[in-house]
Amino acid sequence: MNFKHKYLFLLPGLLVLLAILIFPIGFTVRLSLSSWDSFYPALDFIGIENYVRLFTDDARFWEAFGRLSLLSVTTVFLQYVIGFGLALIVWKEIAFQRFFRVLFLIPMMTTPVIMTVIWRTFFHESLGPVNDILSHFNLAPLWLSSETLSKFTVMIVEVWQWTPFMFLLLLAGLLSLPKEPFLAASIDGAGPIRTFVYVTFPLMAPISIGAIIIRLIEASKIMDTVYVLTSGGPGTATETSSFYIFIKGLREFQFGYSAALSLTYLIIMIISFTIIAKILVKLMVRGN
Amino acid sequence: MRVLYTSLKYLAVVLWSTFVIAPFLWAVSTSFKDFQSVTNGATYIPWVDFEPNLEGWRALWKSPAQGGVDIVEPFFNSVFVTASGSLISIVLGTLAAYALSRFTFKAGFIRNGDITFFFISQRIMPPVVLAIPFFIMLGKFSLLDTLAGLIIVYIVLLMPIAVWIMVDFFNKVPVEIDETALIDGCNPLQAFYKVVLPNSIPGIIVAGMFCMIFGWTDFFFSFILTFTEVQLLPVAIVALNSSITPWWSLSAAALVSVAPLVLVAFIVERYLSKGNLSGALK
Amino acid sequence: MSLIASNLSFKPGNEWHLDNVCFEMSKGQIYTILGRTLAGKTTLLKTLAGLISPDQGTLTLDDRDFGSIPVWKREVAMVYQQFINYPHLSVYENVAFPLKQRRMQSDQIKARVMKALQQVGLDGFENRKIQALSGGQQQRVALARSLVKEASVILLDEPLVNLDYKLREQLREEFRNIFSSEASKDSILIYSSTDPVEAMQLGGQILVMDEGRILQQGTSKEVYENPNCTKVAQITNDPAMNLFEGRVEAGRIILSSEIELELPQHCKRLATGSYIFGMRAAGITLNQTGFPFSVELSEISGSETFLHIRHEMIGVVGLLDSVQNFNTGEVVRVQFDTMQLYVFDQNEQLVSSPYCGLE
Repeated sequence: MNFKHKYLFLLPGLLVLLAILIFPIGFTVRLSLSSWDSFYPALDFIGIENYVRLFTDDARFWEAFGRLSLLSVTTVFLQYVIGFGLALIVWKEIAFQRFFRVLFLIPMMTTPVIMTVIWRTFFHESLGPVNDILSHFNLAPLWLSSETLSKFTVMIVEVWQWTPFMFLLLLAGLLSLPKEPFLAASIDGAGPIRTFVYVTFPLMAPISIGAIIIRLIEASKIMDTVYVLTSGGPGTATETSSFYIFIKGLREFQFGYSAALSLTYLIIMIISFTIIAKILVKLMVRGN
Repeated sequence: MRVLYTSLKYLAVVLWSTFVIAPFLWAVSTSFKDFQSVTNGATYIPWVDFEPNLEGWRALWKSPAQGGVDIVEPFFNSVFVTASGSLISIVLGTLAAYALSRFTFKAGFIRNGDITFFFISQRIMPPVVLAIPFFIMLGKFSLLDTLAGLIIVYIVLLMPIAVWIMVDFFNKVPVEIDETALIDGCNPLQAFYKVVLPNSIPGIIVAGMFCMIFGWTDFFFSFILTFTEVQLLPVAIVALNSSITPWWSLSAAALVSVAPLVLVAFIVERYLSKGNLSGALK
Repeated sequence: MSLIASNLSFKPGNEWHLDNVCFEMSKGQIYTILGRTLAGKTTLLKTLAGLISPDQGTLTLDDRDFGSIPVWKREVAMVYQQFINYPHLSVYENVAFPLKQRRMQSDQIKARVMKALQQVGLDGFENRKIQALSGGQQQRVALARSLVKEASVILLDEPLVNLDYKLREQLREEFRNIFSSEASKDSILIYSSTDPVEAMQLGGQILVMDEGRILQQGTSKEVYENPNCTKVAQITNDPAMNLFEGRVEAGRIILSSEIELELPQHCKRLATGSYIFGMRAAGITLNQTGFPFSVELSEISGSETFLHIRHEMIGVVGLLDSVQNFNTGEVVRVQFDTMQLYVFDQNEQLVSSPYCGLE
């Protein structure tokens, strides 16, 4: 179909989005070429100096980036495994099926920052229930103030918050699968494990790839949880890219430099997601 | 073998359920505590471990001057911003998704897929990247610290979600239905609202729920772009997370702010079980 | 009243969907577009409806430019092969939809909807939900919706192909009655099909289509008796007409070292040279004195048997009017009824047929 009316449908949304975005994006590009900060708040032109600094003299940015990769890949992997497991369980007949489906969805409906505030009290090192229980075993882990453990705490909260989203996408996918392949598998006498390996998993591959990519994109923006739970600490132990850009831009007011960080980060992200998507497709669709 | 499999299955479900519920139970318990029962170490069961009181819940209705937390106004601000942002995003996003699903667009090297990608790719952008330029832009138009300014930002946040879900949805509605409407005398606009729209309600509801979830749970933009005049719920609650935290009112406030969307979980599940979600989510 | 298409062409990618299509159709008649899947039938119907704008060519209806009228003002009706109705409306509302769109008065709408529902045998179903109907009933609703408009052009795109065999036969009979009734005297009916039997049963004119081109137009009798080229011969027969190459020399047809046939009367004048010969399955029968062929496959269909057989390069399908079983590889003796022989030249054009020979 091809009618002039098509523009009436597309343009309102497209123009509104463009109108809102065109200034911020253009301005960020311009800002990244200036030295705007709180001491000298003006849009001067310093060429690619910010970018030179970023690539030669800012280990903290790259460390934050490495940490972000570790955090997001690990949590999304855990979310995928757990989410898929839970989806498989409540896909089939189980007692209180609907109750569990609702329950497993609930965390994603809650506001991450607000739940993180609760988690902070939960993991409180002297007043929280976790250490209260562990104290019976004479343990008192420093959930929030140990360099290694604080990363782990962030992961727990992320897994709690976002496994439901993975669960939702995968369960919706499972429910949309055709019945015939499963019938064929059961006629061939395949057990649950063989059915999963040869039927369910390959059929779910496209949905899995989509769900993992979506979650990776969302996970790469992780910021709220870190801000409330540890404020990037202790030291820089839980500092992620977004949080580092936030500190440079909105805590130290180095607007120019943070714009350069933002753009570099965005470009790295777009490239990584393209590569990750290709790798995932290779890995998961290889069988068919 | 079968018994082992079944018991492992139930064990997994029970363990995960405990993990899911734990922070809520803790928050419910904490919301009935007072200074004494919080600072003496972790306590759990009211009347047994501590003497419950309603201080935390009462604080929700008091103004900050009286030592309350006043989340009533932030609550309605959040409702208003989320609802308006979602509504605008759904309307514009549904129209755009319909265009992208049904018609062909060509402009230079740009095709439908590229336009769809442009919409959806806005989700890759971390809030912090947009926050600074938005801060300056909204400042220019005197929209900082206003509801209208937040709604504008929420459109960027939510329209990609609406487009993503609705393009998939429309791709599954046979185009012959639209064609039949055209043949029966509808122009493309009439075909859309008389025939396509009434048959797209499940997709729109799903898109609407997702917009509401991501709108309601957003923190960063309202955190950066509002100060004193306008406060949204997450910001109001996080503001309580200061040095001497009143855990009881914090917990009560958190429960109130989380409650509305828990209802959404029931609706999502209903759609899921009826098989409507699988049509709307790929 | 007539609908004239001239030079309609549409090439969205590298393939022609419509390639210089020309025809003239007049009212009160039924036209069947016969062609294989992807021959361009649906594209042609959608072009007539206005859903596709052709790259070039014109459409006129009664000397008015039909092609420039937007689809929603064009006064056409269409039935799809998928059972397309408005799922959110009842049967009555579905059929009334095009009339309401024209802002007709409600008592008038009611009379016409009831009449249309009666025509398709759905009176009493007005308040049913579409989803509660069977496939055949859904297609009847779609047909009623296309009849109720009394459109000048009614398009039916393989409307029966998704129904089961029994229902297809039954509905085809009903369709034919409806189309020949008073109601559609003012309409041009265009019906697309892949099934030559269906095209013959519907009667009327046949337009044979392949790769976006109209290969031949004529009454079903004309097209059946004298297919103008090998493609038409294949498309208009089920199973497709057997084609095999051979030479004509000294009054005989030489197909292989072992198979030689007498030239039949209608081919007596054929010049010496290479030709493509055509014969319907029914012209190939078993005979003890015939030529040896080996069986590749035998299919039983109802009370008939289709026999796929081969002799060197010549692979043909024979039709036996009884149920017989054969083993693969078995050698059978076969006779060609040369009275039913078609002859095509090297350019695949018809040279001689049993109905129109070279005397």
